[in-house]
Amino acid sequence: MPSTENKGLTKRLSCELSAAWAIAKKDMRIYYFKPNIIVSGLFFPLFMFLAFAIGKNTPPGNLIPGLISITLLFSASSIEPVSIPIERRVKTFERLLSAPISLYSLVTGESLSGFLYSLGIACLPLAIGVIVFGTPILNVPILIISMALTAFCFATLGTLFAAYPTENVGEVMSILNTVRLPLIFISGVFIPISAMPKIGQQIALVSPLTYGNDMIECAYTGKSLFPPLLDVLALVIFILIFQITANYLYKKFNE
Amino acid sequence: MKAIEVSHLIKKFGSLTALNDITFSVNEGETFGFLGPNGAGKTTTIRILTGVSRPTSGTASIFGHDIEHDTIAARQSMGIVSENSNVYDDLTAWQNMMFSAELYHVGRKEREKKASEILKVFELYERRNDKAHGFSKGMKRRLTLAMGLINSPRLLFLDEPTSGLDVQSNLIIREVVAGLVLEGVTVFLTTHNIEEANIMCDRVAIINKGHIVAIDAPESLKKTIQSVQSIEVSFDHNSADQLDELSRLSMVNEAQKAGDKFKLYTEDPSQVINVVMAYAHTHNLKVISITTLGPSLEDVFIRLTGLQRTGEKIHAID
Repeated sequence: MPSTENKGLTKRLSCELSAAWAIAKKDMRIYYFKPNIIVSGLFFPLFMFLAFAIGKNTPPGNLIPGLISITLLFSASSIEPVSIPIERRVKTFERLLSAPISLYSLVTGESLSGFLYSLGIACLPLAIGVIVFGTPILNVPILIISMALTAFCFATLGTLFAAYPTENVGEVMSILNTVRLPLIFISGVFIPISAMPKIGQQIALVSPLTYGNDMIECAYTGKSLFPPLLDVLALVIFILIFQITANYLYKKFNE
Repeated sequence: MKAIEVSHLIKKFGSLTALNDITFSVNEGETFGFLGPNGAGKTTTIRILTGVSRPTSGTASIFGHDIEHDTIAARQSMGIVSENSNVYDDLTAWQNMMFSAELYHVGRKEREKKASEILKVFELYERRNDKAHGFSKGMKRRLTLAMGLINSPRLLFLDEPTSGLDVQSNLIIREVVAGLVLEGVTVFLTTHNIEEANIMCDRVAIINKGHIVAIDAPESLKKTIQSVQSIEVSFDHNSADQLDELSRLSMVNEAQKAGDKFKLYTEDPSQVINVVMAYAHTHNLKVISITTLGPSLEDVFIRLTGLQRTGEKIHAID
């Protein structure tokens, strides 16, 4: 009977979502205020940005979209690379792996906490832009969509890197930083993509930050390299790739 | 329906075969002990039975649900208490319970009621709002078991439940497990405490180097090695020097000193009693107590796993 099947499927989905939410809540309670997460998610992007922005003749208000982009990148991808190795060490991760939930829910739940953390942190540069510099936002819905998608994309990236089977937070962070740091320079945050050499422009296409930053710029200035719909599509594709790869790696490394 | 059904399970890690074609089943309501030396394959078996790891070949099912293909349904009826007290130190006892309940899809009202009941049984209710960080080892162990029971499991995996615990925690845990067995819960127990398995289990399986070497009721297993009998004797003056002399007495295969007693292994206890009495007389010793003992489950374990006693310790023979 299709209706019974649908009910079963709806119940299953609701169970999976509530388990993912429970994992996210647990991470929020335990990890949001850990010093290494605050440093990595808040101070690191801020100082990184100041290092490149100070001395330039650009008005500070114009730097806000870039600051939001790298805040989203660093804060969203900072929770899981800390929480998962710690949980492997204290064996609580085993609890999640043996629970009656799918690996997709586990990965989603883990990413959800990074996503929410990142949105919260990114509100700081957003508020500074509005209150301190009076930076106008031309398209609020695009800004919300771009921030949400970028945050979720990088939270999933963090979960993906945390699949690396180690109990050492430093190891995951080192590997992750070899990817995160170059992303800042090839994604149009500091140097406009149009001003990059041809090879740089081609590399920029494989960076999710390119599309997130492009869409955030569009919300602030109305100008963008790609149409917003293409940015959305690219970010969704990156999320799916990260999610599927994370799922595969968690399964593989548990063997 | 069998609670656990394992058929021709093989698990390889590269060139290492951790499980080599093991087959066994556990009946519903049974307390089943799974014993073996370190590295024998116990943890690998549990990881496969709980769906954390996949077998190289063979099948395992929990209440008819194939663990590899119907993992979530199989896990739904399980409670898992791992060897490490894997509670979240930064959460309170109550938050730990709620999180565990949410993972097992226990409804809000039910989980609150159930958590209160279980925490009271484990004498943790008064500390429910304290973070687990400040709990003693025994309290963390009790909380781990409490979390494993939040979904009212039909099958409970207990890995070293009482290892290194204080007397209070030990008693509470054993009492709770005994109660669960009376309610019909199936218990899969792995332990290094062989006496614990002897007391608690309906049947035990002994695994060694990836093979199941024996599977039966503890008493039936003991009968298989009746040749390993012993007498336990205590003199009014006990010294380590006597151990060497006692081990050289006729009919004594092996002697051990255990506290204020000597344990003498023999195939003929009645003869050895006479020899020991003569030894006591010759050395002007008074026998305080003398008891004949049948083979223990530990003797069976040692015999079947090829381990060797040295003094009071057990060493593996490669």
